[in-house]
Amino acid sequence: MIRKLQKLLVPVLSVLLLSGCWSKKELNDLALVSAIGLDKNEKGKYVGSFQIVNPGNVVGGENTGGGSKSPPVTVYTAEGNNLVGVSRNASAHVSRILYYAHTNIVVIGEEIAREEGIMKLLDALDRDPNFRITTTIVIAHDATAEQLINTLTPIDKIPANKILKMLRSTEKSSGEHLEIKTSDVLEALVTKGKEPVVTGIRATGGKIGMEMENIQRTEPSSAIEANGIAIFKAGKLIDWAHGRSARGIVWVLNRIKEADVSVDWNNEKDSIVFEVIRQNTKVTPIIKNGDPEINIHVEVEGDIGEMQTAADLNNPETIKKIEEKINKQIKNEVEKGIAKAQENKSDIFGFGDSFHNNYPNEWKKYENEWNDTYFPELKVNVTVQSFIRRTGLRTKPFLSNTK
Amino acid sequence: MEKAKIDAVQLFVLIVLFELGSAMLIPLAIDADENAWLAILLGMAFGFFLFLIYHALYKYYPDMLPTQYMQKILGKYIGWALGFAYSIYFMYASARVLRDFGEMLLSVAYRETPLFIVNLLLMFLIMYTVYQGIEVLARTGEILFSLLYLFAITGFILIVASGLIDITHLKPVLEEGILPVLKVVVTETIYVPFGEMIVFTMIFPYLNNPKVARKIGISAIALSGINLTIVMAVNITVLGVDLTKRSQFPLLTTIQSIQIANFLERLDVFFVLALIMTIFIKITLYFYAGVIGMGNLFKVEKVNQLVYPLGLVVLLISVSIASSISEHIKEGLKVVPILLHLPFQIIIPLILLGIAFLKSKKKSKGSSASDA
Repeated sequence: MIRKLQKLLVPVLSVLLLSGCWSKKELNDLALVSAIGLDKNEKGKYVGSFQIVNPGNVVGGENTGGGSKSPPVTVYTAEGNNLVGVSRNASAHVSRILYYAHTNIVVIGEEIAREEGIMKLLDALDRDPNFRITTTIVIAHDATAEQLINTLTPIDKIPANKILKMLRSTEKSSGEHLEIKTSDVLEALVTKGKEPVVTGIRATGGKIGMEMENIQRTEPSSAIEANGIAIFKAGKLIDWAHGRSARGIVWVLNRIKEADVSVDWNNEKDSIVFEVIRQNTKVTPIIKNGDPEINIHVEVEGDIGEMQTAADLNNPETIKKIEEKINKQIKNEVEKGIAKAQENKSDIFGFGDSFHNNYPNEWKKYENEWNDTYFPELKVNVTVQSFIRRTGLRTKPFLSNTK
Repeated sequence: MEKAKIDAVQLFVLIVLFELGSAMLIPLAIDADENAWLAILLGMAFGFFLFLIYHALYKYYPDMLPTQYMQKILGKYIGWALGFAYSIYFMYASARVLRDFGEMLLSVAYRETPLFIVNLLLMFLIMYTVYQGIEVLARTGEILFSLLYLFAITGFILIVASGLIDITHLKPVLEEGILPVLKVVVTETIYVPFGEMIVFTMIFPYLNNPKVARKIGISAIALSGINLTIVMAVNITVLGVDLTKRSQFPLLTTIQSIQIANFLERLDVFFVLALIMTIFIKITLYFYAGVIGMGNLFKVEKVNQLVYPLGLVVLLISVSIASSISEHIKEGLKVVPILLHLPFQIIIPLILLGIAFLKSKKKSKGSSASDA
């Protein structure tokens, strides 16, 4: 009898213990948060905006014609004295449990980034087991995070995905923006001799972006675009870098994947376009006559993408000359980026950290005054070596042969 | 002592899994900052010496459990008391690792599940395994070993493939000189995990071929030490020293950083599997050592009758030894090494070996005298 009972106990226990129903969460009880926006209001409280996916409205495709009537995401906002409080307060508006495991973007409002800094915002994200620290972080340029989170986007229906994909494609093709992860920011914040950079995102057109109409037009009245790189110091946003200087920063950080570099030729401005295919930037700290110096060497390889002028590309000598111009152009960009950072006395490149790694004894002397005394005066020697490997499907441009 | 035998390969996998258990998951030796890997390697070097001490004792008494030869060496009463203390030590250690396990699972995945339930489920499994005996445990070890290395190699390739490794995080090497590293070695890595090899003194008598024990032990310690070194070096190169330091489980954060082709991400399950497999072996071995020690001291004929009562004791201890994870870790890193590991892993075995050596010398002198 007891033997039989024992045998029975095995399946019974398995059913009870192996099914794993303890604190289960059903999919239709979860609100998938795709993006979080963080601001501060006049009362000094944190305001969180939670972009929640409406699963039914994301799937659509051809059958639905113009898409469904209601938007693919819904945004809830809540305020609180800290981030966990904000999240818990938001539950008063949402019928489901906020679920952060699929959060792709954290947007931080420019105002809070400038005034209070981002330090206090990050711990809750770092600590929570659901939230990923590989989540991309951006700053809402000239806007509150709430505004940005509220803007609807065409093509990629979930705005958070649109931002993420846009950042990836622009980092890859123009090199003026960067996809920065929460963990990158954290690392830069805690490393002495290194300050974080974060890409800025802007929404044009204001409130109109909240309406479904926005994505029913061929040219949306309100669009989300990457705009500038935010430079931080001591956790606070202090300046923006745009265009060439932004790309200079990306060069030094060795994050350029592809980019276009245009140079003048035959006195015609920007008439030859060089498309970067791969590059490698080496930062070497040296100490010369007791002073710290940085050597930057950029090696870049690519093709000719466009010729708006005549040049004999069959001649290796011409190629050499073009390469020299490219070298100069890139050197100029890099120096602009460095100048921007030195102006702001913020070592966003981690030069200090590389001194720490290579000259630990000397670093002790610089450590405490690095950002304010040594870094702005730091001598940076930039050398660029570019290689034009191929010239596309044509050799000489047809402009060389026009009558 | 049950009548069972394990072979050399089984001993090897048990040692490796045991050494990796929990040591692989926590920020081991992180007080040495960038040089954590060095501290682990040095700890391993000392680990070889410790192992040689344990092995020398085993060679004097190849068929006896430590609880038996302690009585031979120190006399009946003191030896018995010391054997009892060792059995308690092993059971306490198993309760500590069980608590580690519960804390990890609760922090990582099961926030709302009570600690007791999580520990209870694993403890049932462990009690069952120990009830079945060392042979079953050894065979389980073989399966888990191959699984673990499959995961580990895949994980390692994925980490390298996603381009996360940044070697500069390991610099500067020896910024403050060798002293801080040695301090970490002396206060931490000698004991956890290398000194924990003491538990295998309870396992050696089951080995079917006593001659290979030394070779197997040294190679298993070398493999696990090098693996731990790689794990810590990878953690630091991927996360940087600061994040590694702040992480309860740096390996988890490292694995979470893997992002390949937009779909190979959130591979937390690798971590959880590694956690469960290695920790299961670790607790089971500790618990097994405690149970056969007790059985031997109290002359219980069927040792596995002790499994369930002692298992419940371990379970209850595991829940009640600390009120928070901070308290638990603090005890584990600051109190237990000095108060328990140092005497039980180093001082007492050294004394035992000394006395055993003198005794054997006297004996051989006596016997050679009688020969003449």
